[in-house]
Formats: sequence, C-alpha cells, structure tokens
Amino acid sequence: MDTIITCTVNGLVLSAIYILVALGFSLQLSIMGIFNFAHGAIYMIGAYITYGLSVGLGLNPWVSLLLSVILVGAFGLFVERFCFRPFQSKITRMIVMAIALILILQTAVEVTLGGVTRALPAFVPGILRVGFISVDAERVLTFCIGAVLLVAMTYLIQRTQIGQQMLAVAQDAEGAALQGIDTHRTAAIATVIACATAALSGSLMATIFSMNPFMGDNILLKAIQVTILSGIGSIGGILAGGLIMGLLNAFLPVLTEASIGELITILIVILILLIRPKGLFGYELF
Amino acid sequence: MRIGSSITLRKKVTSIVAYAAIIVFLALLPTLGLPVYPMHTLIGVFIWIIVASSLRLLDLSGQGSIGHAAFMAIGAYTSGILAKFLGWSPWITMPIGVIATAAVAFLVAVPFTRVRGIYFTMVSLFFGIGVLAVNQVFSKFTGGYSGIGSIPLLFGYDKTPYYYFCLVLLVVCLGIIYRLEHSRIGLTWKAVAQSHSVASSIGINESWQRILCLGVSCCIAGIAGVAYAHYYSLLTQDTFSFNTSINVFVYMTVGGPRYFAGPILGTAALILIPEQLRSLREYVPFIFAGILLIVLFLMPQGLAGLLEQFKQKFARSSKTESVETDDGVSKRVP
Repeated sequence: MDTIITCTVNGLVLSAIYILVALGFSLQLSIMGIFNFAHGAIYMIGAYITYGLSVGLGLNPWVSLLLSVILVGAFGLFVERFCFRPFQSKITRMIVMAIALILILQTAVEVTLGGVTRALPAFVPGILRVGFISVDAERVLTFCIGAVLLVAMTYLIQRTQIGQQMLAVAQDAEGAALQGIDTHRTAAIATVIACATAALSGSLMATIFSMNPFMGDNILLKAIQVTILSGIGSIGGILAGGLIMGLLNAFLPVLTEASIGELITILIVILILLIRPKGLFGYELF
Repeated sequence: MRIGSSITLRKKVTSIVAYAAIIVFLALLPTLGLPVYPMHTLIGVFIWIIVASSLRLLDLSGQGSIGHAAFMAIGAYTSGILAKFLGWSPWITMPIGVIATAAVAFLVAVPFTRVRGIYFTMVSLFFGIGVLAVNQVFSKFTGGYSGIGSIPLLFGYDKTPYYYFCLVLLVVCLGIIYRLEHSRIGLTWKAVAQSHSVASSIGINESWQRILCLGVSCCIAGIAGVAYAHYYSLLTQDTFSFNTSINVFVYMTVGGPRYFAGPILGTAALILIPEQLRSLREYVPFIFAGILLIVLFLMPQGLAGLLEQFKQKFARSSKTESVETDDGVSKRVP
C-alpha cells in the first residue's frame, strides 16, 4: 500500500515535468516543424543558471529561478532567430544545427563548472505528512507549479489570440500567413515559451534529482516518447501521454528490473509508431 | 548528346583516377613509415567511413536513420560474444555477425516499411535505444554498461595488418555501394525516395525496395561493426549509443548526402580535425560544433558540394541563378 502511494506520487511529479517539457517540444514541432533535439540541453542550461545564481552568487533561490526562466526565454528568442529560422523545413540540417547547439551548451557547462554531478538546494525543504503518508515538500511544490503552468498554457493556447494563431500556424503555415498572421513572430513566441518552461522544469528537477551536463538527454527522450504517444497538436493528448509515461516510469522499476522496464516503455513507443503513427490523440504531421 | 556523354565520361575517368590515387597513397602510407598512433586513427576513420557511407545508401531510398549504430552493435556483439565465450576463430564469427545483422535488419525492415519520412526516423531512433536496452537486459552475456573486453584480436598487436584489412574492407564496401547506386536498383531507390506514390504507379514494389535497401545498408554497417569488435577488442554501452548514431548521421550530412564522396569527406574532416587539435582537451567539442556551424551556414550542399558551389558562383555572371530547394540542394534555373 505504502509503495503504491509513493509510486503514484512520484509518477505524478514525473508526469508534471514530462508534460511541461513535452509541451514545449511538441509546440516547436507543430508550429515550426522541427525536431528540436537541443530541448534537453536548454532544460539543462536552465538548471545550471539557477544553480549559478543561487549557489554561486548567493541570490534568493526564487529570484534566481525567475531570472533563469527569463534568461533562457531570451536565449530562446536568439535560438529561433539565428539557429532555426534559416533552416526551416530542412529536417536533416535542422538536426545537425541542434547537435551543434547541444555540443556548445554541454561543453560550455563542462568547461566552466566541470562535469561533476551537483545538487540544487531545495526551494522548500522539509517533508509533508498527511496521515501515514509522508511526501517530500519539494515534490509537492514541483507538482503544484507544473499543474498551474499546465492550466496557464492550456488557457493561453485555447483561449487567447496568440494561442489561436499558434494553432492556425501549426495546422497550415501558408494559410495562416495568408490570413495576416506573422508566422515568424508566432514561432518566436512558441520558442520562448518552450525554452522558459524547459528552464523551469530543469530547475525543479535538479532539486529533486541531481544535475550534470548530460541530464537533458534522458528528459529529451521522455519528451519525444510523450509526444509520440500523444500525437502532435493535441494538448489533452499530451496530458494523457505524460501521465501514462510518468506512471509507467514510476511503477515499472518497482515491478521489474529497471532495464526491463525501460525496454517495455520503448517497445510500447515503437509499437505505437508502427501501428498508429499519428499517436493516440493527434494528427499526422507530414 | 555526344558532347554531354563525353563530359560525363571525362568526369567519370577523373573521379576514378582520383579515387585510385588516394587508395594507392593510403596503401603506401605504412611502407613510408607511418607512426602507430596516426595509423590507429586512420583505421578508425576507415571503419566510420564504411558506416557513414552505408547510412547514405539508406538515405538514397528516403529513409533517414538516426539509429544506425544499433545495427553495428548487433554485428559487433554477436561476433565478439561468439569469439570470446565459445572460443571460435574471429574468421568464422565475423561472417556470422554480418549475417546476424542482415537477418535482424530484414526482420525489422518488414514492419518499418509501414512508416515513412520523419516517422521512420523516429522508429529508427527508438530501435537504437531499444537495442541498448536489450543489451542491458542480457547483461550476463553483453556485460551491460561496462561491456565486454578482451575480445579475441584478429591479427595480434601489430597495427599494420589491421590497417590493410580495414582499407580492403573500405574499398570493397565503397565499391559495392557505388555499383549499387549506379545500377538499376539504385535508380529505383532514388525514385522511391522522390515520390513513393509515383514509384508505385510505375510498377515499383515500394515496400520490397525499402526492405532491400535497409537490409543491404545494415549488412554493410554490420561489416564495420565486426571489424570494430575485433580491432578495438572492447565493446561498451557507449560504443554504439545514441550519440554514436547521431555522430554518423552528422558525418554524412556535413559531407553532403547528395554526393558519393560526402560521407567520406565528412567522416575524415570531423574525425581528423578534432584529432589534430587534441591538445585543447575539453574544448575539442567546440571545434566539432564550429565545423558543423561553418558547414551549415556557408556550405548548403556539404563539404563535397563545395566544388560545385564555387563553379556556380563563378557561373552566376551568365544568365543563370541558383534557387535553393527543400533539402538544401541548389538547382540552376534558366
């Protein structure tokens, strides 16, 4: 019983992070048609900027988190303009561009701070006790922030003008441009949102687990898995896909060996790709 | 017509002479007293050129893969495990490894033909990660993360025989790839890549051609894999990881996937230049990324397309202009 509750809580926290990262990844994929393999590296750099500001400069952790989100968001603007826009709809060169970005970011961190594993101090230390369940307060915070952001993102995309513009560009970029939507501006806003949420989730994850220059690789794969599971262009799908992935990742290592659990997850993803390439809820991209 | 064919003939002869000269030069290098370490590096370059070229062969039929190292891993691990634990001679286990790779490739190719384009790329990515996970699950045989070491060597500790062996493998594999590309089969694959529906409409069995292409390409990757296993004699989780697959993909793209020489130039540049600047230690990835950025922004057709790019630049004064198409390929329009 205890194990089940712990696993569920862990699964929910993991899901919140997966959904946040996958939402950014899938936003970029549907609006610009790019597989941003550098999304994991941006997630990593967000965590490291928070670390540098709070531990290195001794700022308030909340202020440093906010600054990190703003800085990485601004970096997203740069990335969209100078790295992605010149290579739109050229998938192979896009991937090479992302690899170059990953190499530069990872090496920059390795050169300045070293490749050792570090830990970000918790934003809210302590343990919450509800009845006989005790949960790390940090995890509850992560889940809450994740949930609030998800609601905000859903509102932004479904209800506001810019969100509607994003959906229009994702459906048909040419048609959207003909209606007077500035596709480049939409893409820039999407990239900024994606990078900012990646930085936030990176910082939150770094307090729960640890951080190293290669922490982004794993989360990137999870984001791709969630995107494949849910399909492109459906926010509800990403919520469901993220929950499935998070709970699978929390329960499988307890039920079987970690390696077998990973194999099962990958088999599920490959089967979905082969049987239903558009994912469980989305539409086919090309 | 006559003029055109004589130009192509001249081009063909020039390229054959150039390739022959490079091969003869490489063959003579050890007799000129090549030190051990550069020889070691060159053997690595030969092996990775085979893999990158096989990836380009797969790309010909429109199947961009970022999990190609997994097929190398299947060959390498099969041969390595048989040779180490059963004590068989590498000369027997190496063909078995290649056959195993081809068998797995043909088997997985059948379901893989269901998906095209970016979805195929995703499937290949997760196939690559899946092979690593299988490696973890059977860690009793494969050693898991730490991998298997002291695999029987092919020729002992002197590097010269390996150099010639890998050079011969390279020439044979490139020869096969060249012949395939310029045969009827290669043309069929290019047709499938351009438009699967048009190709099907003129009687090409699209699925079978894609299965064939994946099988042949992975078989060649398996050849490189077994050569790797019995030269380095150590296989770990990192050897054939996702990064390796991505690296091979980058070698091909930087060299220019349109050209036969593309993967060769790309691999050589991206291994040898960072190798020369080894003294920079942890800054070496910056060099690698710098090469990628230069090629991306200045050479839309890759390193191998540089010559053509220059020709076009000087021909621009005449009444032609170049238009960049979807895949970064420049086309001349009157």
